[in-house]
Amino acid sequence: MFRTDEIIKAAKLPPEGVAMSRHIDYIYFVPILFVTIIGTFHMHFDLLAGDWDFWLDWKDRQWWVVVTPVTAITFCAALQYYNWVNYRQPFGATLTILALLAGKWVTVIAAWWWWSNYPYNFVMPATLLPSALVLDIVLLLTRSWVITAVVGAWLFAALFYPTNWALFGYSKTPIVVDGTLLSWADYMGFVYVRTGTPEYIRLIEVGSLRTFGGHSTMISAFFASFASSLMYILWWQFGKFFCTAYFYLTDERGRTQKVHDVFAYGDLARAERAKLAGGKA
Amino acid sequence: MNAKNLINMGVIGFCGMATLAFTLLLDTTPAAAHGERSQEPFLRMRTVNWYDTQWIGKSTAVNEIATLKGKWHLSEDWPRAVVKPVRTFLNVGSPSSVFVRLSSKVNGTPMFLSGPLEIGRDYEYEVTLKARIPGHHHIHPMLAIKEAGPVAGPGGWMDITGRRSDFTNPIKTLTGETWDTETKGVATGITWHLIWGALAIFWVGFFAVRPMYLIRARVLASEGDEKLRDPIDTKVGSALLVITLALVAIGYFTTEAQYPVTVPLQAGETKIKPLPIKPNPFVVEVTHAEYDVPGRALRMQLTVTNNGDQPVSIGEFTTAGIRFLNKTGNERNLDTEYPPELVATAGLTLDSEAAIMPGATQQIKLESKDVLWEVQRLVDILHDPDQRFAGLLMSFTDSGERLINSISAPVLPVFTRGGGA
Repeated sequence: MFRTDEIIKAAKLPPEGVAMSRHIDYIYFVPILFVTIIGTFHMHFDLLAGDWDFWLDWKDRQWWVVVTPVTAITFCAALQYYNWVNYRQPFGATLTILALLAGKWVTVIAAWWWWSNYPYNFVMPATLLPSALVLDIVLLLTRSWVITAVVGAWLFAALFYPTNWALFGYSKTPIVVDGTLLSWADYMGFVYVRTGTPEYIRLIEVGSLRTFGGHSTMISAFFASFASSLMYILWWQFGKFFCTAYFYLTDERGRTQKVHDVFAYGDLARAERAKLAGGKA
Repeated sequence: MNAKNLINMGVIGFCGMATLAFTLLLDTTPAAAHGERSQEPFLRMRTVNWYDTQWIGKSTAVNEIATLKGKWHLSEDWPRAVVKPVRTFLNVGSPSSVFVRLSSKVNGTPMFLSGPLEIGRDYEYEVTLKARIPGHHHIHPMLAIKEAGPVAGPGGWMDITGRRSDFTNPIKTLTGETWDTETKGVATGITWHLIWGALAIFWVGFFAVRPMYLIRARVLASEGDEKLRDPIDTKVGSALLVITLALVAIGYFTTEAQYPVTVPLQAGETKIKPLPIKPNPFVVEVTHAEYDVPGRALRMQLTVTNNGDQPVSIGEFTTAGIRFLNKTGNERNLDTEYPPELVATAGLTLDSEAAIMPGATQQIKLESKDVLWEVQRLVDILHDPDQRFAGLLMSFTDSGERLINSISAPVLPVFTRGGGA
């Protein structure tokens, strides 16, 4: 089904090397890469989009729609660079969001449900997995990060609201309490006491987007798409910066040159020779 | 490993074990407060003056109703360092949501959203709570002020009995359904997370079953990416793209059909009128105030004028939720249910306990003295850059009417026994 044999052959590794590479895959992929993404990206995301993703009564039609995808596409772009440019693996964004959600659910269960006693529905995280899948697939099909930035990143943000409407649409159902009209989500935020989080902390429904003929969500999603596109380009370049390894090599004839990409083909043997000859590497 | 290393490691290990063993000796009594005493005295004394606080339903079973009610006066001596109460929210200070809050009214107006309040005015609040998590809980009323933070009121203990799993909170929506706040949306949310999680794991797993990193990197570097282009990747990717878009559309449109009537999150402002200003014929002015550090007493010199037609007796001084009472205060205004740790029943003394007669103006020396000044950490006022106090002086006419005067003044410290004015 796969071209695996052909690829292994082209790698020109002995059987032990092939077996070792798979061990490295297993050790590196889950325990190191995945857990590292959980730790770093979960923290990054919570600092920038935390409350919108924590609370049901923060998931509004303006800020939530803008802040969440724009914040989430950052690591997706950087991890896509790393996985695609170095290995042609088209799962960087999906892996990133899977790691984010793994961290999210640990927090939801351990911190919000078990420790703080909030029901799951009040602290249900949004999902960006469909957006991430589309971003990865666009990169795979087009093989172009520029087209991915334009088409994939736009879809990444545009799909966010309809995807999560399935999870949170019910929470916008109106109720009347003490003669006051509220959405179900508003009332959840009122019912479950948060001592350190008074209502005015919410950053929702602020701004002039509501003047656009009542289509706040559409305008917000459009703006989020545009911003996500720019953010994708920026973070793809961050990925490039952090994936670019180099060293300076002085050879036997005293010539110093900057050698890129020690990862795959840094000629370390040559560097050793240079050092033995009194040069520096 | 030589003998020296062994000894070194042994010593380090012994220190570690000793440290762990020592922790067992520490007092591990659970902490039961919210740090309310850590709030600076100027915040507690000069912003929200809580009074008449009541915890109704001090012991309730799960699902039973309790009430937290009382009044506050927003001090005229509002500190310059604290943002004015242009956006405030009546909150409850509790260890997590041990009660759910069904309703919250300030001067009869529901306060679901935040709103402005007026300095110098009084407000009456009532919060309806429903017991949720069994335990012995310390509950405060709390007024959160935007950009100034929460100001905790007095805390009282409330017990909840029963089983948490019995808790339900059904609410009827405007479209006629009745949903439980504990469970509505949980199954739907988790189901969608599982669906998308399964698809995402499939997508990553589809590549993880093949050599992932080292081999592909070598091929890419030596021969380019031609060999790495597996036609099945494109086919599976295209199929998954269609499935993903279709699922998003299905989820969106079925939810639209299921919940056709929706409203955006409500983000308005609660408009609350303060309580009407009650005519007060009793006029009080603080002409001097000092805090006696060794004596644990706040002493004031007052000039009082009784413009009414009945004699008036001073009975209570209250600040930061702490009450100092004399005999009059005990007889007229002691709520026996008020937390005893916040009351000094013999903490108020006057140089003349006689009632102030109608038409009289006189000088009175008042002393509120109790260890509560230290226990509640109000003595920290002496470390503030703006050493002032504020509070409510409660007096009573012969006919039983309570007169409340908001008083405030700079405080001078007295550091020596027997010192001061």
